[in-house]
Amino acid sequence: MAHERTHRHFLELIHTHQSIIHKICFVYGKNVADQEDLQQEIILQLWKSFTSFQENAAFSTWMYRVALNTAINQTRRPGLLLDTSSSPEIPYDPSDSYQLSEEIQILYRAISGLRKVEKAIILLWLEEKSYEEIAEAIGISVKNVSVRLVRIRTKLAEIISKLQ
Amino acid sequence: MKSIDLDTIKAAWKKESAFENKNLSKAEIENFLSGKSKDISLLFRKGLSFDIVLKSILGVCFLGIIILFKNNLPVILISLAILMGILWTIRYQWLMIGKIPEASIGDRTIRSTLENKVSFYRQRYTKSLYVGALSNSLLVLAGMIYYFYFKYGEIRPFLWDDYLVSSIAILLSFAIGAMTQIKQSSFQIKQLEGCLQEIDEDAISTLTLRDQRNKKRRMLLIFLLALICGLFVLTFLIFR
Repeated sequence: MAHERTHRHFLELIHTHQSIIHKICFVYGKNVADQEDLQQEIILQLWKSFTSFQENAAFSTWMYRVALNTAINQTRRPGLLLDTSSSPEIPYDPSDSYQLSEEIQILYRAISGLRKVEKAIILLWLEEKSYEEIAEAIGISVKNVSVRLVRIRTKLAEIISKLQ
Repeated sequence: MKSIDLDTIKAAWKKESAFENKNLSKAEIENFLSGKSKDISLLFRKGLSFDIVLKSILGVCFLGIIILFKNNLPVILISLAILMGILWTIRYQWLMIGKIPEASIGDRTIRSTLENKVSFYRQRYTKSLYVGALSNSLLVLAGMIYYFYFKYGEIRPFLWDDYLVSSIAILLSFAIGAMTQIKQSSFQIKQLEGCLQEIDEDAISTLTLRDQRNKKRRMLLIFLLALICGLFVLTFLIFR
């Protein structure tokens, strides 16, 4: 009975905050199939980790942490001959799965050029999380967050200016 | 100029409604919950479970050998020792499954999740891959014994070259098994290490050192195998 109540509560929370999952899948998925796989993985991990969520904390902050943790821990499997670097990737247009404004399409292309942790930091920054929250989610110091954000923003701005 | 561009983008991100509009129903979310995880932990867990099944089958094979050679004391003793070894390795792999870290734990930072996984996979999981590769050697050994039994009804006395050939077969099966599995898992572990390096760029030197140490070990193993094969070919050419 208690399990059922927890399950229902979990579904309710995920349903309400699902835009977080879509945003993370949008940033980390390289194509539609990738995004769907990641979506499933994130929901599964959120459920597995749900016992660690404390009701007095903000659900969205906890959800960001688990979802980003899952996205960063996703790994590509080796190909038959272990060299997957040469396999051509099908170009993905994010507007295939989202009705996006032009700015966000540019942002997607720019973020694609960032590394996994850089993506997490910029995503949390876009979501207006404080430096303390970003530092706490990633596991680095607040000072480090500010240094990295300057670096990432410059990198992002350079990519965007090339794209525009 | 650059920051103005980013601020515009940030404002657009805040206003973007596409993510809110993409609505999963509760039934769809529930459907995701009944799916299977594709996380690296599950893949490694599956590998270890497969090895436990394989080792159990090998255990049955060696029990069969004890029954078939019930009048041959040395074979019985060796098979018993191998059986004990198999039981120990099954227990080892079983315990290892329980220690595999989960993909993400709610109260962990990204860095600590990565550190936890990388240190487990590099230090403990790699050992279990060597234990797993023993199955290949045992498979070759059991295959040879059964071959002798069904072809000759006994294990004929070995000459020195028989020892050499069978030792090479057993060693090679172990080395090939271990190297393939380590290479496969390293491919994925390196991706996690890459993220960890990205978080803690000061730690690059430590990881590079470990990489070089691993490379040295790999080269030594390849060199030893080449040496054994070379000696075998040389002996064959001299005495043929």
